Amino acid sequence: MSELVQITPELWEIPTGSRDDMRVPARVFADAELVDAIADDLSLEQLTNVATLPGIVGAALAMPDVHQGYGFPVGGVAAMEAPDGVISPGGVGYDINCGVRLLACPFSEAELGPRREALVHEISRSVPAGTGKHSSLRLRGSRLDQVLREGPRVLVGAHGIGTDEDLKHTESHGRLAGANPDAVSERARARGADQLGTLGSGNHFVEVQRVTGILDGQAANVYGLHPDQVTVLIHSGSRGLGHQVCTDYVKRMDGALARHGIMLPDRQLACAPQSSPEGKAYLGAMAAAANFAWANRHTIADAVRHAIARVMGQDIAAEVRQIYDVAHNVAKIEDHGGRSLCVHRKGATRAFPAGSSDIPRAFAEVGQPVFVPGSMGTSSYVLAGEPGSIEQSFGSACHGAGRALSRTGARKRIQGAELRRELEARGIVVRCASNRGLAEEAPLAYKDVDRVVAVTERAGLARRVAQLTPIGVVKG
Amino acid sequence: MSYRWLEHTGELELEIGGSAETDVFEAALDALAELLARKPTGAPEHRDIIASAHDRPALLAAWLEELVFLAETEGYVAQRVVEIAVRTGEVSATLDGYRCEPRHLVKAVTYHNLVFGRDDRRWHARVVLDV
Repeated sequence: MSELVQITPELWEIPTGSRDDMRVPARVFADAELVDAIADDLSLEQLTNVATLPGIVGAALAMPDVHQGYGFPVGGVAAMEAPDGVISPGGVGYDINCGVRLLACPFSEAELGPRREALVHEISRSVPAGTGKHSSLRLRGSRLDQVLREGPRVLVGAHGIGTDEDLKHTESHGRLAGANPDAVSERARARGADQLGTLGSGNHFVEVQRVTGILDGQAANVYGLHPDQVTVLIHSGSRGLGHQVCTDYVKRMDGALARHGIMLPDRQLACAPQSSPEGKAYLGAMAAAANFAWANRHTIADAVRHAIARVMGQDIAAEVRQIYDVAHNVAKIEDHGGRSLCVHRKGATRAFPAGSSDIPRAFAEVGQPVFVPGSMGTSSYVLAGEPGSIEQSFGSACHGAGRALSRTGARKRIQGAELRRELEARGIVVRCASNRGLAEEAPLAYKDVDRVVAVTERAGLARRVAQLTPIGVVKG
Repeated sequence: MSYRWLEHTGELELEIGGSAETDVFEAALDALAELLARKPTGAPEHRDIIASAHDRPALLAAWLEELVFLAETEGYVAQRVVEIAVRTGEVSATLDGYRCEPRHLVKAVTYHNLVFGRDDRRWHARVVLDV
């Protein structure tokens, strides 16, 4: 392992001098057990590689749920000087603006009662999931351009999908500035054109949950969460459109490295100055893909509301509120300490605290909601951003439990059919077409989410507000 | 010509070996077919594809990207290489395959630890797929 020095019980550091090419230290928010969990993978080497990127400031950071990725580790945060530091598509990831959206239902689990299975079933019928599934909302040409430029607000206005309240309760109001549809290739458009409102496969899901714990009453009250309430958590991203945007720009920047005089320890870190033609084009394309992802979750949420209407009635569905929607794969220009920085978050969530001008006014006194999905058999958490995130992590916190096992490793440990029976025996309704896909996302494939959020809280990045326990899951 | 899947925490890593450069491209196609193929929904079809890149490892990534693109946008899964030609910075091929609902989604072909080269006797390659 690299030279890892413990700074506090929840913070570890690889000093700048550990490798000649490091420009800043690499820091990991973790306890000893979480450090052990990444000792045998490439997380620390990948984080150290990030610390070599031109224009990086402060430190290359890993959140408590970090695990090995490609290029950047998953759970990585890096801030670059704007406008001449680099932007790295691999530092955002292929699934641009993969993120989560939480809906609060106006009924309890008891009030849902025996209709739980029907609700999960209706959601599975309403939200296309898995490979080969297409949306009924097919956007081409200028209609797709509008979504890429404006995000879900176009869907509210032109298609009657969702509400203005949803937009207010979405990070950046669901619209990243500077989106440039012209920087999105025809291949990316072809991949994404009929995928708006689809879940995809892998670790994407819609989960029906019950609030099983309130840990911060004031914040829970502000967010509109109370015990036994039913919530719905949606996890998806920019689908094939975003995947292709990243593919296109990794290749383009890889070919321009020599021209920019950039040497890298890993080609997947391909990058270019934000102010260069490649950098500007990627920032415009990435913002367009991020807007597409917000539109995607917005459309999925609308389908969930319709499913609720069919099971619980139209009046009840009309009272379903969106608590918030957060991105966890994105790069954003933010002000930190008076400096304009391009903050890359790959598998990390923005976690701005109370008083931030960039979060909805309703959350001004408690901080921004942060959603941390566990796995389909364990709890998820709602956190609130804390001032420590601004001081230590460019306003960032964890995004999930973090994988511990490979997909093959998970399948070796448990069969999909066996897992399905186990989950159903615990009262969790499962809708997943693929037993293989189910096994790959088994709870045993992930770290202990309770530990991850506890470390996040002790480190001062975000505090726990509520615990959510799954009662139904729809997977691709 | 051979391939095998390696352990990777979050993604899929592919290792390929072969006695000729074209073997690596063919084995990569075989590996992807293993990952994607499902029961055909149509008759067998030929496809001509061309991929280009500025060096050999990136060319392997570009080849796989073409196959991923066909699978995602058309549901076409290539099963076999009928003809293949590799030139500097370009690979072109005629493929035999069919349409289906591909079993697995491959988001992208990464450049992480991307290797494609030759030692004294054999060609070898490694590539990580984001899934």
